[in-house]
Amino acid sequence: MGGATAALDYDAELMLRVKDGDGESFAALLEKHRSPVVHFLYRMVQQQAVAEELAQEVFLRVYRSRGTYEPTAKFTTWLFRIATHLALNSLRDGRNERSQERLDERSEGVPALQVEDRRPSVEQSMVRQAMLDEVRRAIAALPGKQRAAVLMHKYREMEYTQIANVLNCSESAVKSLLFRAYETLRARLAHMA
Amino acid sequence: MKCPLETREDAEILVAYSSRVLNGGDTELLEAHLQCCSACREFVSGQRAVWEALDGWEAAPVSADFNRRLYARMAREVSWWQRMRGRMGLLLVYRALPVAAVAALVAVGVLLERPAPPRVPPQPVTAQVDGLQPDQVVHALDEMEVLDQFNHLMKPGSSTPRM
Repeated sequence: MGGATAALDYDAELMLRVKDGDGESFAALLEKHRSPVVHFLYRMVQQQAVAEELAQEVFLRVYRSRGTYEPTAKFTTWLFRIATHLALNSLRDGRNERSQERLDERSEGVPALQVEDRRPSVEQSMVRQAMLDEVRRAIAALPGKQRAAVLMHKYREMEYTQIANVLNCSESAVKSLLFRAYETLRARLAHMA
Repeated sequence: MKCPLETREDAEILVAYSSRVLNGGDTELLEAHLQCCSACREFVSGQRAVWEALDGWEAAPVSADFNRRLYARMAREVSWWQRMRGRMGLLLVYRALPVAAVAALVAVGVLLERPAPPRVPPQPVTAQVDGLQPDQVVHALDEMEVLDQFNHLMKPGSSTPRM
């Protein structure tokens, strides 16, 4: 918790320096949060190009808002609130509909598998690819807010309180969202054990 | 221990246990409960499968030119803003003076061309007569008649008035 507080202070401090016109602090924030934001957005919209475009918009908004920035919440809460908002809008607008329809195909620029030195056989690769596609489909089938909650909980290891702050809802609402989301995922993915 | 599946909020303990982040004391309590609750065992088994399946979904690395593209967009925004400010500045410098001069000329013209205040026409006599009441008119006529009689009495040549 102390580390989290320190991280909060450090990010907020960097952002306050950005507010004062320090470009290097913005570069430091970008370096630290670029991958988490892009990965979150990629898992939300499931298309790399759209995810990167949205991530650029996230950092542009952070930069534009520097003048009015006040460290009232964790920096990452603010950052993921912007990212979630953009991702949900994108899903609503159907900008990634095509990618949803083509989940069977491999997206360009996305490594299908993180293959290590053991060199899996073609058959193993195909099985793993099929499993991966199933996971992506299961996540894509979740409603937007449930999807965001699962991704923040699983991949960012965010606490319920922070997810609630990002999604602008109560902690109990987050627990309910996650319960329903995991229930759906268990129904679709439990056989993969 | 009360079954965590009885309320959704308590199910978080099962999710935490499945992802192996539950603290020691709670883990012991839950494991004791799992011995006798098949529903919770099923939940944990399914949740662990979900967790492992999600672990296998790795995100792609970010494009190498992500920062370059972002900074280019930021620069475009800044230059757009500067262009706007520059244009506004030029407008102020090059347009303000002529506009002010034109405005001053127009103001002078308006002042010079402003029509003179309308002259109040002299009140016609009838207006006064119109304003008289009938009894005043009768009175005036009576006085005129008296004067006329007086004039007759004061004819030239007569030293004394004829009374």
